[in-house]
Amino acid sequence: MSREEAITKDKPEVNVTINGDSIRTPATLSVIQALWHAGYPRVQGVGCLEGVCGSCRVLVKRADTNNISMELGCQTLVEEQMEVMFLIFPSPPQHNYKLEKIANSWEVQTEFHQIFPEAQQCRNCHGCSTVCPKGIDVERGVALAVKGKFREAGDLFIECIMCDLCMTGCPEGISPNHVGLFARRVTAYFHTRPSNLINRLEKIRTGELTVVHETDQA
Amino acid sequence: MNSNISYREALEKYTPKKESSLPPTTTAKGALLEEFHPDYITECRTTLKSGVNRGDSCHTQLAELLQSDSRINEANLAGAETIETDVLVIGGGGAGCAAALIAQQNGARVILATKLRLGDSNTVMAEGGIQASLNREDTPQLHYDDTISAGHNRSDPKLVSKLVLDGPDVIRWLIQQGMQFDLDEFGDILTRRAGGSSADRICFYRDYTGLEMMRILRESVHNSNIEVWDYSPTVELLGDEQGGCSGAVISSLQQKRYIQVSAKSVIIATGGIGRMHLNGFPTSNHFGATGDGLVLAYRMGVKLRDLDSFQYHPTGLSHPNHLTGSLITEGVRSCGTWLLNGNGERFIDELSARDVVAAAVIKECREGRGITTEDGNVGVWLDTPGLELRSPGILAERFPKLISLGKKAAIDPTKEPLLIYPTLHYQNGGAVIDVDGRTEVDGLFCCGEVSGGIHGKNRLMGNALLEIISFGRRAGLAAAERKKLRHNGQLSIEHLNQLRRELSEENLSLEKQGPLLFPDYAKFDLDSDYSKLRRTQKI
Repeated sequence: MSREEAITKDKPEVNVTINGDSIRTPATLSVIQALWHAGYPRVQGVGCLEGVCGSCRVLVKRADTNNISMELGCQTLVEEQMEVMFLIFPSPPQHNYKLEKIANSWEVQTEFHQIFPEAQQCRNCHGCSTVCPKGIDVERGVALAVKGKFREAGDLFIECIMCDLCMTGCPEGISPNHVGLFARRVTAYFHTRPSNLINRLEKIRTGELTVVHETDQA
Repeated sequence: MNSNISYREALEKYTPKKESSLPPTTTAKGALLEEFHPDYITECRTTLKSGVNRGDSCHTQLAELLQSDSRINEANLAGAETIETDVLVIGGGGAGCAAALIAQQNGARVILATKLRLGDSNTVMAEGGIQASLNREDTPQLHYDDTISAGHNRSDPKLVSKLVLDGPDVIRWLIQQGMQFDLDEFGDILTRRAGGSSADRICFYRDYTGLEMMRILRESVHNSNIEVWDYSPTVELLGDEQGGCSGAVISSLQQKRYIQVSAKSVIIATGGIGRMHLNGFPTSNHFGATGDGLVLAYRMGVKLRDLDSFQYHPTGLSHPNHLTGSLITEGVRSCGTWLLNGNGERFIDELSARDVVAAAVIKECREGRGITTEDGNVGVWLDTPGLELRSPGILAERFPKLISLGKKAAIDPTKEPLLIYPTLHYQNGGAVIDVDGRTEVDGLFCCGEVSGGIHGKNRLMGNALLEIISFGRRAGLAAAERKKLRHNGQLSIEHLNQLRRELSEENLSLEKQGPLLFPDYAKFDLDSDYSKLRRTQKI
């Protein structure tokens, strides 16, 4: 493939270990590209390739440190002696709730604790915040949601890509990303009431605004 | 192209400016497109020899796939289990989720089968926003006129009319699913202007509009009774004796077997073709965007349209190498960011329609005013530091995804410009549908990027996110109405015999198999151990 050749031809190479296999690869590739380049099929754990879908979770250990970090395989450039492990696991069972079953905004906090009873068990171990590849203060988000501060909690999760790593990092079995998403959803569901939208809906409903198109005119 | 200025030299010469005027245009838009837009490369066009579009112009790479052999034959289906449902939705992006949710709410049993995981789609990557005429200075009519005009008068007026009138209600529906939008101090939805539009009409949530939309839709689907099948690409549709569609053959990657789904309605919502890398272009598209739905529908006899028209988004990242093709939202230009060539000059009205801006960037690079990196990538500057100079703080506030991309690229976009080049972004055409997403094949619906007619020959920013919800809901509703019908029990792949006869008669190769499912470089085989690491034959 010519494009791949252009990227990889005559480029300096590095040695990396991916899921225990040693791979020699051009230094200009991401972890996923390196795997493909070395001839390994990789479909599971590959998604948007732009760092927003949360599919390509990897454990990364770099040569100069003993620290292990959670990163995204599509966004991580290979480095000499880097060790990488793909974290492929199915999405754990979800909490089940429907926004339209929450009667009004007074009920949200009670409903939240019924849907996510484990959230108040948080023991502040920082596991969730440590593993978040987006650097979200996950633990604080959970604490805010437990206190009923859903708007503030939700705002912390703006960049959440639902990779589920925080769930795996929680010894209490909390699903912090779903807590965050719940907080975001109830905020919109109960509090977003834009007047420009409401006016426009009314004008379309009454037929005051409509569209004349070519086939009508013909 | 080699006479372009080097990256390092261009960077040394670069300084952000408060003001810079646009030089007078020298080339007319039409001529610019004809000479520089990739759609107009004559070597890339061919005429289809088989199927309902026989005789129509088509991109060569797509033609090869539309005229490919099936991946299966009768023997593959011998022991296959058959599962019944009312509605089968193929594809787990925004259009598929919207269709599935509405079908299920209207009483249908729904299976949603997706090639990767639910939500793995181009929707999640959409940054700029969604169009809906909300402001006093704007009307659905203006939205309609802009859409028709951007599409070079090649759109289907009926579809566009429904699209623009659905706009505000789509926004309400999304809010009811729990989606947030950026609001002003009075709680009104903020809007910005798309290139080629006459009013501020893009509603957005930072530069994460698609991510915000997809995560709430995914949560809605998971909290419903819709049955979701991950890692389950559809490899063929099933037909009945009357020429209708009666279901599909699904390949379960996890169970390594085929499953037949018998459905009263099938909705194809498989998205676009970016990962086919037309004309060798990088793409902003999701890993799974390989045009599967087009191939499936075409074999069943669905007519396709505008198969020679694709959108190259002007601002794909061109440096560093491992992030090539990554998208930078048009929203950045909507806020006033300039494009500068290697000499630091502006060369096009940055808010012209996307095809025009893309062609202008290609022209600069081809005529030696572009910038070339050590890796051999070319491009022009996206002058984000200039924007920051004129509106301090705007990048961090409005474009967190861009800032995060900058971190991965080790470039601070508030201080250094980004090298950009057009990236393959969108399939303008697709399956011919009516206002309810119906195709000409009974029981078969298409919605979202796989369908054609709304965008004509060029799409406006923000109309894709509107289309997937507007027409996803329409298709879901119309498909659910068929739940009263009885299963006719005919699950045939007779249409494949017809296909093979036609391919042989036209002396077309039976070697290539479609749908593609995954790009070649993923080296995927149906029998490859898909979760662990193991080399396969296909190295």
